Amino acid sequence: MKWATRERIHIDRSACAWLIRRNIDHDAEFVFVADPADIPSGATAFDIAGAELSHHAGDCSFETILRRYDLDDPVLWRIAAIVHEADLDDQRYDAPEAPGLDLALRGLSMTRSDEEMLRFTGPLFDGIYEYCRRALLLGREPS
Amino acid sequence: MSSARPGPSEWVLLTYRLPREPSTPRSAVWRQLRKLGVAQISDGLVALPAAARTREQLEWVAEEVTDAGGTAGIWLARPATRPQEERLAQSMAAARAAEYQALIAAAATAAENGDLAARAGTVRRLRNELRAIQRRDYFPPPERDHAEAAVQAVADLPAEHRARPGRVRQLARPAREPAGPAGQETR
Repeated sequence: MKWATRERIHIDRSACAWLIRRNIDHDAEFVFVADPADIPSGATAFDIAGAELSHHAGDCSFETILRRYDLDDPVLWRIAAIVHEADLDDQRYDAPEAPGLDLALRGLSMTRSDEEMLRFTGPLFDGIYEYCRRALLLGREPS
Repeated sequence: MSSARPGPSEWVLLTYRLPREPSTPRSAVWRQLRKLGVAQISDGLVALPAAARTREQLEWVAEEVTDAGGTAGIWLARPATRPQEERLAQSMAAARAAEYQALIAAAATAAENGDLAARAGTVRRLRNELRAIQRRDYFPPPERDHAEAAVQAVADLPAEHRARPGRVRQLARPAREPAGPAGQETR
């Protein structure tokens, strides 16, 4: 399937792309557009003005996708809290990791293309998932 | 090459109209715009210096306005003259300066009568507030540095009446160390 999002991705769109490939469409193909009018027909749009899978009622796009596809994995919701705070910084969640992750991805987006961003952030989010999974199972920070 | 000084730069504008009632979305939008540090040009018209990030931020506010039954638009524009742009920038710098001043006053109060046990929490709260202001500070006024120093001063208060020289030296180092032989090594 084809998925389209706003170009120059950072935290929310990187995390959404990782989530889509991981939980919704393993063979997802991503296109990056500057203008919503350039979204190819048949592509599912996310994190771009006018899209259903986008910011709604205070949610970032990652949260919207979790809700829309009934993904209730608590590990994914912990990642959603980090992505939300990194993207919106509105103190809805307690996520002290958010500013550091935001800096890392923002810096990466300054030196790498959108396609490269996906290649680098995919394994990063896999690692974050594993960390959050262990933390949730242990009930404390994993060592 | 023909003109020495660059003309006014690009700004991203949000035009929006929201029904007066219900008031909840109105105040949610207002809070968001305040958090972003926009310049309010007139009723329903706000501006930020154009960048990928600021444009995206205002686009999400526009979405929220239309979700709530209002109308909104995003525009890219340049002030026609430099003085007009300077007035806009000055109004934003003055708004941030007032926020930094309030933070400096809060830090001074905390330094005077803050109880030591609550210090860490106070410093964290002051730093969070400082960062929130800095994130919406596009034209830094001199108060920015003063506010940083005022918050750091609360963190640097000795835990007891005995000073901790090691900590003080460590904090002073970046400011005092000129680019000398030691500095060159790190390049």
